[in-house]
Amino acid sequence: MLSRLVVNTAFFLHTYHPYQRSKIFFYNLLENQHYQHKKYFDIFMMGLIFLSVYILIRSVKHELPHGWLIFNNYVISLIFFIEYLLRFWLYSSNSKAIIEQYESDLFLHRPFSFSSALKTIFTQKMEYVFSPTAMIDLLAIMPFFHEFRLLRIFILFRVLKLFRYAKSLRRLISILSSKKFEILTLIVFTMIMIMVSSVLIYVMEANNPESKINTLFDAVYWSVVTIFTVGYGDLVPVTHGGRIVAMMIIVSGIAVISFATSIVVSAFTEKLDEIKEEKMIDSVHALTRMYLVCGFSPLAHEVIRKLHKRHIPIVILEKDPNKVQQARNNGLLALSYDSGSLHTYSHLKLDFEHQVEAVILLHESDVANIYTALTIRELTKNITLYSVLHHPANRKKLFLAGMNHIVNTHELVGMMSKIIARQPVAFEVIHTLRSEQTSTIVDEIILDADMKDRFYALLADSLFYQRFSVLGIYSTREKVFHFNPHPDMNIEPGDIAIVIANRGLIDEFRTKLHRRGKL
Amino acid sequence: MKPHCAAIFGYNEYSKQIVKQIRGVYENVGVFVIDEEEFLEAQNDGIVADRFDLSDNWQSIEAQFDVEGLIVFCALADDAENVFLTISLRATFDKLFIIALAQDNESMMKMKSAGADKVMPILQIAANVINDILTKPIMTQVLHDVLYEDSLLSIIEIEVKDASPLNGQYLHELHFKRDFDLILLAIVDQELATTFSFASKGHNHHIDAGDILVFMGYTEKLNAIKQWNDGVSV
Repeated sequence: MLSRLVVNTAFFLHTYHPYQRSKIFFYNLLENQHYQHKKYFDIFMMGLIFLSVYILIRSVKHELPHGWLIFNNYVISLIFFIEYLLRFWLYSSNSKAIIEQYESDLFLHRPFSFSSALKTIFTQKMEYVFSPTAMIDLLAIMPFFHEFRLLRIFILFRVLKLFRYAKSLRRLISILSSKKFEILTLIVFTMIMIMVSSVLIYVMEANNPESKINTLFDAVYWSVVTIFTVGYGDLVPVTHGGRIVAMMIIVSGIAVISFATSIVVSAFTEKLDEIKEEKMIDSVHALTRMYLVCGFSPLAHEVIRKLHKRHIPIVILEKDPNKVQQARNNGLLALSYDSGSLHTYSHLKLDFEHQVEAVILLHESDVANIYTALTIRELTKNITLYSVLHHPANRKKLFLAGMNHIVNTHELVGMMSKIIARQPVAFEVIHTLRSEQTSTIVDEIILDADMKDRFYALLADSLFYQRFSVLGIYSTREKVFHFNPHPDMNIEPGDIAIVIANRGLIDEFRTKLHRRGKL
Repeated sequence: MKPHCAAIFGYNEYSKQIVKQIRGVYENVGVFVIDEEEFLEAQNDGIVADRFDLSDNWQSIEAQFDVEGLIVFCALADDAENVFLTISLRATFDKLFIIALAQDNESMMKMKSAGADKVMPILQIAANVINDILTKPIMTQVLHDVLYEDSLLSIIEIEVKDASPLNGQYLHELHFKRDFDLILLAIVDQELATTFSFASKGHNHHIDAGDILVFMGYTEKLNAIKQWNDGVSV
């Protein structure tokens, strides 16, 4: 009867959306590094920690208002306690453990073992309780019991909680943890050194009335101060034997310091690329809009150089580390990832719909471009894909793979050859306009219906007359280009005027076009 | 003399497209290849190619074409060889119209120094087009249609004749938009002749015989102004 009730409750919770939604919300807030609002929560918690430490320091020599102590001892502790409980709840799913046990028993034709499910739940929760971070969390709540004066010192455990909220501190821990074995060896070596030197100095100095090293504690204190090359000088050996021990310890101390330094430096050196990669992924994730360029070829380099004028960030995905390095040397944001792999996009957590303006496929082979296009199309149908086509025979395949726009350099050169041979000046004019090599450019101006009168009036204005050419207006509704439009021509919202003029003059035209009131 | 025959050096994907595009434009189109592989590839495509080397022996060219009316496309796959080919041709034929392909801007400068009349920097061209499609898609489509497709709109360059009504007029006196339904894009002053200047610069240019005007407009209107320039009353 109880088992049935437990299983039913577990299934209910597992499928109850408000419950699952709240669980996801708290998971995002506490654990998901990519959740956009997590940083505010982290900043809030760090603020509480610093406030707590400030109150502790201030309370040493000053009488504090009662409200401050109440806030420190109860409010902050309560917040930390709630956080602890939330993490305890999120660490493992009880309903899932019960359901898994139930389904397993059902499959094996056995009665549901509630005790086994409880055991699994208990094991999982204890795993959390005894994890170092959870223990720090628990100790940080201790100041709640402020009546025990000693427990006030547990406020300092709150400082350790900073590791939870500050990413750089977490990174430091992860770097150092990669050298666990070396650090452990160093600790053991240092402890042996301290033990041996403490005993030796105690034996040499303790019975000498002129020596200040009289107890074993004095000996240990002296050893630690000496081995770490601090040497306060409050305790010094006076016997010959003691001084010989001191010399040995000083030399060993340098070895300890060098060993420790080399461990930290090598850990950072080894993880440097990983850290850089992580930072880059973070910066990609923070982008609200971008062009995604797949493949870093010479053409890609040239395209990116031109696109930079648009001030939209560009992210490059390239498998070849040498090319990635080359891109980075040029100050570009390049990631060493295979653009044809689904894993890449799940790892980068790219939101195609909201972050990516367009994907430009510039691999040096049609095969790679098609493969990448198919991968991206599996993730989204809405993004616009641009690709270079290397062999005209593959044109249809590229379209089948979901490309929206294809550029074939061979065909372009062929078509240009025709025009360049027949009308070299005309070709030069159009090429110069498009390449934006001079101050005169060809540009698009998006129009609105209420701009009609202003648009034609501006064209007649002395500032623009003779110096501002409107090639035509493209009607987005009719999908027709109206060359050399007559002032009677109607303008609809979204119509696009194609103009040729000086860059500055086009900007001025745009400004005046959008300005209200008289010209 | 206006070119009426063309020679294409090299047989690769670019040359194939050039052959495809200009075949109908010139009376005589010849393909010259440097190695056996290209020779066989051309043969497979049904094109009779001639062999050449990078020495200064251009007898086959002179034998096959009227050099005065010849346009040459230097389209070898290797930029260094293409530069050498360009400089070799220029050294032998002063007045030959040479169009050269270059992989990038660096090679483009070398081709120009070697004597090419026009250079097509492939990477820059492709990058420009991709950039335009991304940033100005409508403009790109319109200009593409005007330049390369059989659309009603077209572009034309006309040289002002002595007998042309345009000869001696000031640019600001003429209203091409209103009177001809044409847009004047640029003008080449034959006195300066180094390069063109855009009409939208607003200079009140004095038009002389020999100047070149570049217009965009409907084909029939372009033909009309061409005839008018030739002294035919429209």
